[in-house]
Amino acid sequence: VPAPTEITPTLLRENINRAVGDVFQTMLGLVPNLVDVTELPPRHDRIPLPEVSPGGRTPLVVGTVGFLGEINGLTSLYLDETFARLSTGQILGMTATELINAGDERVNDAVGEITNMTVGRFKNGLCEAGFPGILTTPSVLRGRNFSIEPTSSTARYVDDFASPRHQVAVDILLSTTD
Amino acid sequence: VRYKILTVDDSKTVRIIVRKAFKNYDCEILEAGNGVEGLAVAAKESPDLILLDVTMPVMDGVEMLTRVKSDPQLKAIPVIMLTAEGGRDNVLRIAKIGVRDYLVKPFREEVLLAKVGRIIDLKPLTDQPIPAKSIFDPADLLVVEDKPAIITQIEVGLKDTPWKVHGASTQGEALDFCATTPPDLILISLSLPEAAAFSLFRVLRASVKSKYTPIFALAVKTETGQQQQAQTLGFSALITKPIDMTELEAKISKAMNLNTSERYFKIEPEFLLMRLPANCPSPVLAEVAHYLKPKISEAVDAGLARMIIDIHEFQNLPLGVIKLLLQAMQTCRDVTLQFALVGNAQIIAECKTFEDTRNWPFYNSITEAKTHLATKAVAPPLAPV
Repeated sequence: VPAPTEITPTLLRENINRAVGDVFQTMLGLVPNLVDVTELPPRHDRIPLPEVSPGGRTPLVVGTVGFLGEINGLTSLYLDETFARLSTGQILGMTATELINAGDERVNDAVGEITNMTVGRFKNGLCEAGFPGILTTPSVLRGRNFSIEPTSSTARYVDDFASPRHQVAVDILLSTTD
Repeated sequence: VRYKILTVDDSKTVRIIVRKAFKNYDCEILEAGNGVEGLAVAAKESPDLILLDVTMPVMDGVEMLTRVKSDPQLKAIPVIMLTAEGGRDNVLRIAKIGVRDYLVKPFREEVLLAKVGRIIDLKPLTDQPIPAKSIFDPADLLVVEDKPAIITQIEVGLKDTPWKVHGASTQGEALDFCATTPPDLILISLSLPEAAAFSLFRVLRASVKSKYTPIFALAVKTETGQQQQAQTLGFSALITKPIDMTELEAKISKAMNLNTSERYFKIEPEFLLMRLPANCPSPVLAEVAHYLKPKISEAVDAGLARMIIDIHEFQNLPLGVIKLLLQAMQTCRDVTLQFALVGNAQIIAECKTFEDTRNWPFYNSITEAKTHLATKAVAPPLAPV
């Protein structure tokens, strides 16, 4: 294991790119491409997925998992509700009707697990780079027209991924204090 | 024995994925949402395997694993970690507690099945005895042979069957094919370079998907050493080159447990038709005899009262065929099924010359036999044998 040096945007980008690719390809059969990378200054809020949620009107399902250790932070996956349903159907082999009957809880759980796998893969990559840590259990938020405003001691990176028909935004918040 | 697999994961999604992965196998999936529930289910159900997540509320997977391994009643249960936690230090720490295997999410279903299949003997689900496939059903046969002429020979030799013959010239090609199109039966040439036939056999038997697929060895008749090795390893059957296609077809039918009765018996709207082919060697006679009583019972069950035995293709009647026909007629009498035979002039004349066959009720065509049977009330008398 290499000695920890510092977390660089390149290290984060490489790992999140690999994590999103692995999870979406293995579990959903999709190959999303990284289309935009944004490093935001502290205290800068950003409404994710502006392209698929114009004016924040489209409902979103957001999964969040934390990581604790040499580095601490939170990573959230933003999916619009249609894509969240589609992903749930794909990962569980359920039809649209079966999903409606199963309710939103089933979609939330699937988004939580997709986030868990993605952040797990991301975190494991950071472990191999010398930043060991553990994961928290996932939580899922639903809503529209909302954004997260980090504290001043947080570095923020937002990476947008797109497959031919869908988009996913990954929001990484890193604590910069010891 | 029905195996029990306990999946312990706070994500219902993962538990559903696990349940779905094993739905075609004869095992029961038990579920728990955290370590506390997992321990309770394990103590009550004594599962044969535990699939365990790490990060869970109430009690995490590391704590549950530690308790399982320190409990005399539970410690023998093999545990596979199925988790997003894949950091090297954490994996080593967990492995030291005692796990049989470790699978990091995201995971493919076939990888999960392969890892579980190495610990418990996963068998395809058979709730009830599966009705045997018919000889007329399509099937995929994979021939692994580096000599294209042999593959072509098999393809041509089986062209009258509904089976599709696929060829592969190397172990890699064969495994790629099996991954995408699990074949119904595999023939492997023992003369593949570097004893690849035996290593391929081992790989296929280790895979859950091909564990029970019949695998035949193709060997040159004089290569007895290779043949013995194949039999020791457990190949399902041996086919020697030059290949006897009738033997190959018969062995394939048997290995795939195909119902071949439809070759000889057909239930028509008003009668059961039994038709014997012109060439009736001993295996064919044995096959027809095997199906005789069940097919007659099936016809009676279906409400039929007549049977027509068509032997018009014969030029003469060998003793084995005469015995089979006597057996068929006796079975008809036992269940009061009216019967008639259809033959050609030569056969009818031949039968008139023997005591045992002199009174057989022959007709020149199925239509004629059917018309005659329709006017009769009881089965004709049968001369004692």
